[in-house]
Amino acid sequence: MGKPDPTDRAERARIAADAAAFEALLARAAQLPRQAPATRRPRGHRHWVQFGLAASLVLATALWFGLREPASLPEAVIAHVHHEPEALAPARNPVNGADLEQVLRQAGAEFVRPVGTVTYVKLCPFRGEMVAHFVVQGRRGPVTVLLLPEENISTPAPIREDGFVGTLVPLEIGGSIAVVGEPEESLETIRDALVAALRWRV
Amino acid sequence: MSGKRAGLAERRRFNRLIGDLRQELYSYSLWLCRDPHLADDVLQEALLRAWRGFAGLDDDNRARQWMVTIVRREFLRAREKRRDEATDPLDLQQLADPGEDPMVTELRQAIFRLDDNYREPLMLQVLMGYSAEEIGQVMDMKPGAVLTRLHRAREKLKTMFVEGDEAAAEQD
Repeated sequence: MGKPDPTDRAERARIAADAAAFEALLARAAQLPRQAPATRRPRGHRHWVQFGLAASLVLATALWFGLREPASLPEAVIAHVHHEPEALAPARNPVNGADLEQVLRQAGAEFVRPVGTVTYVKLCPFRGEMVAHFVVQGRRGPVTVLLLPEENISTPAPIREDGFVGTLVPLEIGGSIAVVGEPEESLETIRDALVAALRWRV
Repeated sequence: MSGKRAGLAERRRFNRLIGDLRQELYSYSLWLCRDPHLADDVLQEALLRAWRGFAGLDDDNRARQWMVTIVRREFLRAREKRRDEATDPLDLQQLADPGEDPMVTELRQAIFRLDDNYREPLMLQVLMGYSAEEIGQVMDMKPGAVLTRLHRAREKLKTMFVEGDEAAAEQD
C-alpha cells in the first residue's frame, strides 16, 4: 500500500473513526473471491508438499473437487452421459442380473419388478454421491438412467442438452431419477416402469 | 448394514457436514497462508485428514470448529516444512474482483500484511464469526489475550489504511 493518496486520506480517516463503517469495510475485505485459484503453480514448485502415497493425493483431490460448486442437475446428468460413452454402444448384451442387483444394492436401491432390458450398469460418482447408472434399451436406442436418492426436486424437470432429451422425475419415496435418451424416444414408458419398480433400501 | 453401505452413509454425512464449509475453509486457509496455491494444498490435505479421522467426530455440531482446527494444523505443518524455502510472493491480482471498491481491496491487502498473530484472530472473528473464547480454544490463548490482539489488530489496520505501512510499523 505504501503511503495512501492524500486526496482520499480524509475519507479513509473518516471510515477508520466510524466503528460501524470500518467494521462493514472489514467484513467486505474478509470475503475473498469465491473461486479457488484457477491456475496451478509451475511444475516443480511444490517441494514442501509430500503427500506420501499416490492414493492419498487421489483421494484428497477427489474430496476437493467433489466439494466444489456443482453444475445444474440437468447439466451434470448430461456431462455424466458424455463421460461414459461406452454405455451407449448399440450392440451391448444384457447385463447379468446379479451384477445389476449388486450395483443397485451398493447404491442403496432395489427393483421390485422388471424394468426392461438392461445393457449397462455401473456404480458411479455423481455430485458427491455414488449412484447407480444403467442403460435400458428403448425403441429408438439406449436410454440412460441415473438413480439419485440424494437429489430431491419438487417437480419434474425436462433435460435438453447436447442433442439429448430426458426428464428428471421426483419420487414419492424421496430422491429422483434421471431418464435420458435420443430425441423422439418414448421415455414415458421407461420412466413409469422405473418409478413403479424402484425402492430405496434403508 | 453392510460395510459398503456404512461407508456410503459416512461419506454422505461427510459431504453434508463439510461440503457447505468448503468456501469458508478455503478463505480461512488463504488468510493463513497468504498464497492461493498453498491455501489450496493445505485445504486438500486438511480434507484428506478430516476424512481419515471422520469416524472420530461424534457431534455433528462440532464439525465447523473441528475443520478449522484441522486446517490450522495443516497450515502450521506446511509452514514448518517450508521454513527454509522461499515464500511465494502473494499474487494480489487474484484476490480482487473486477469492479470491487478499491478501498475494500486496499484494506484486504493491509490485512494480509498484518503479522500472523494479529491476522489470524481477526479473521476468525470477522470471517468465521468466532467469539473470543472460541478463538482462544483454536489458538490456545486466554480470551483476555485474544481481545487484546483483536484490539491491536484493528488499530494497526486503521493506521495502515489511513497513514500507510510505515506509520503502522512505528506502532510496534
